[in-house]
Amino acid sequence: MSNAVGTTLEGKKKQLGGKYLTFRLAGEEYGLEILRVREIIGMMDITPVPRTPTFVLGVINLRGKVIPVTDLRQKFSMPAAERTPLSCIIVADVGKIEMGILVDSVSEVLNIDAERIDEPPAFGLEVNTDFILGMGKTSERVTILLDISKVITGDEVAALGNMA
Amino acid sequence: MVLDELAMLVMSLEPGHAEEISRAENLLSALPAGVPLSERALEKHAQTLALAALLKTQAGDDFTATTRKLGRQLAALQEMMEPAEEARVLVPTVAPAAPVLPEPVAATVETEMTGDNVADADPEILSEFINETLEHLENSEACLLKLESAPGDQESLNSVFRAFHSTKGTSSFLGLGRIKDLAHHGEMLLDRARKGELQLTGVYADLALESADTLKWMIQQLQDPATGSVKPLPPNYRDLMERLDLPAPGGAPITAPEASTPAVPAVSAPARAAEPKKPEPIIPVIPEIKVSGAASEMTERATAETGSGSASALPGASSTTVRVSTDKLDGLINMVGELVITHAMIAAQEGARAGGNRVLGRNIVQLEKITRELQDLSMSLRMVPLKATFQKMERLVRDVAKKSRKQVTFKMEGEDTEIDRNMVETINDPLVHMLRNAVDHGIEKPEIRLAAGKPETGNILLRAYHTAGNIIIELHDDGKGLDRERIFKKALEKGLVESDRTLSDAEIFKLIFLPGFSTAEKVTEVSGRGVGLDVVKKNVESIRGGIDIQSAAGQGTVFSMRIPLTLAIIDGMLLQVGSQHYLLPTLNVRQAFRPAPAALFTVTGQGEMVKLRERLIPIFRLHKLFNVQGAVENPTQGLLLVVEHEGETCALLADSLLGQQQLVIKSLPATLGKTSGTSGAAILGDGRISLILDVGSIMRIAQGRELAEAAQA
Repeated sequence: MSNAVGTTLEGKKKQLGGKYLTFRLAGEEYGLEILRVREIIGMMDITPVPRTPTFVLGVINLRGKVIPVTDLRQKFSMPAAERTPLSCIIVADVGKIEMGILVDSVSEVLNIDAERIDEPPAFGLEVNTDFILGMGKTSERVTILLDISKVITGDEVAALGNMA
Repeated sequence: MVLDELAMLVMSLEPGHAEEISRAENLLSALPAGVPLSERALEKHAQTLALAALLKTQAGDDFTATTRKLGRQLAALQEMMEPAEEARVLVPTVAPAAPVLPEPVAATVETEMTGDNVADADPEILSEFINETLEHLENSEACLLKLESAPGDQESLNSVFRAFHSTKGTSSFLGLGRIKDLAHHGEMLLDRARKGELQLTGVYADLALESADTLKWMIQQLQDPATGSVKPLPPNYRDLMERLDLPAPGGAPITAPEASTPAVPAVSAPARAAEPKKPEPIIPVIPEIKVSGAASEMTERATAETGSGSASALPGASSTTVRVSTDKLDGLINMVGELVITHAMIAAQEGARAGGNRVLGRNIVQLEKITRELQDLSMSLRMVPLKATFQKMERLVRDVAKKSRKQVTFKMEGEDTEIDRNMVETINDPLVHMLRNAVDHGIEKPEIRLAAGKPETGNILLRAYHTAGNIIIELHDDGKGLDRERIFKKALEKGLVESDRTLSDAEIFKLIFLPGFSTAEKVTEVSGRGVGLDVVKKNVESIRGGIDIQSAAGQGTVFSMRIPLTLAIIDGMLLQVGSQHYLLPTLNVRQAFRPAPAALFTVTGQGEMVKLRERLIPIFRLHKLFNVQGAVENPTQGLLLVVEHEGETCALLADSLLGQQQLVIKSLPATLGKTSGTSGAAILGDGRISLILDVGSIMRIAQGRELAEAAQA
């Protein structure tokens, strides 16, 4: 997975600064590196795939490509929400594959300087923070910057393999 | 080579670095010591020395100009020295220094036992080189095999020579010294064959093939990121180089190298295929090549004819083809598929129907024709002829036959039959297994064949042809055939069958595809580990194909492998299950019917069965398996589809049948992991996605076997 994060803390911080697409999820604001975003599409027919984890909503037909859609609310164990006209799917580039993520709404593209990004907080075992790149602080808000490649890969895929 | 090092050094020189410059000078003046130079080369050498001396006094632009000049002179010098080397290799008995010769200079270089360094190579040029050269080498392999049966075929010989020559040229340009050296030595051998000093049969054929293999291996290594920038040297490199120089002109059998080559270790068959070829002990010219007079002349002429035919076709073909990356190709096919769907959606619009806008209607029909043609065309792009695969098999048969001391003539038919590019890989392994088996177990040893009244040389025929939407690949051998009794006995021993059952021939032959079945009395190096045929079957079935066997004791065996024309399209029945729809491959479906209430039974109130023509078939409810809401619960109001997989039958309950159509298959995204119950997805005419049911895994889920298997694993 081409996770372009440097080895040193200093280098890591420097690289984290940049543009993020922010979106809302159960009242929280999340950010996704802009270079990872392929496109944003409105809600469309999602074909459920049986016998996959609940956070996998199914697959969609994106101009001939079959791509999976993940419900981030489910993934983060948040309460399920009604689909609204604002609900949309962000198609992200995860390594070599494309993946859709369902979010409540897309907000804006935000430029966050490296020095305004904090390390992910440690909550202990209770909350998994592996997929958080850092916490971006702007004047009055905090944006959780996601490492999308960790959201569904790694353990998840292995777990899926075991289920099958 | 010292010269290579020198050239590098000169290029990196900078004004004022007196130390470096004098080092270059010293190297230069020491040069003639190791190698005898011609007069002209000595002259060049003196010039370079003068230039190097000049360097010390210069700076700036003058300096750069001089270094460039020096570089050119060095290149010229290198070229002059090479023929000198070649001349000496040709007459090894005359030169006292011959044994040290192949590597006299390289020995002083520090990269002694490592391969080439690709750190500086332009990745794009490198990858082009790799692709091109591998193709050349593969071609030359086929030509070498041809040469073995028809040593006079000048066309093939030239084409092998060209392959080695261009490998040498390009690798030297890229600074891949090791590959260059080996290609050079191989070229020398071929040159001697061209001059008629030797014939590429027996030992020399082995040697040439081994060189090609080793080169191929080295070039493949260049691509492998795991090995880092400095590539490993194949274990047989030095040994091979020495042997390439050794053979005396005239083709007298060489026995000396046999002692020095390490014995081929027994490696399991599949692993061996993946490994670089170990040096094979050179066997003094085997009588195998000797075919009786008239017959050999005939085959020679035949191969020479076909050879020239394909060779003359080749240059033309290469000039009109374009290399396209498979990603782009798949992208194109995807987009065309989308175009077809979008077209269907436009055509279905109200305004475009008959009675609406006539011009629009006409244009849409026109568009349909174009898209249809575009679709056919794009589909045909993925098709490749089986030739390349078959040629690899030819080589395999030759090697296996040699190893197991058998005499085999290999023929192929229908190698121009085209097959989906994605399937080539999948059928490769099964073919390798089957051919190995055919040579190792099928064809008998020459003496046994003679005793049985058969010609000494066995025949293997690999044939491909189209039939009714399928491609059949047949493998005929005229060996001993399958031994009915022994297979049955073995199956009994292993508890694979019950003793009181009488089985038909076909059923008995099917037994050999069961996992863990092997009748070979001893495990040979080539095959017989009881892995193999079950893998063959699995592989073939994974692309929705099948295998049949026909065999007559003492007369031979025919394996026929049936594979679909393309993996891309599936003929399926679209089923409604509650709010969802699924696609069931028509191939699996035996019957679809709505049962009468009287035909339904339950076992212990849970297991459901349906009686169909006096057979009791278990019913699996799709909506239950896939947890779909709102589906028809009562079988008498729904539809039962009787499906079969690996001899097992069951009935699936769906709501209704929506239709039957051919659809383009898409694989499910890898992030979903290994999904069970479905094998892929297809995009319907309206753009929606429908999942394709995998009958085998549905049966496993339904019977709860899946959990048990998971627990075991």
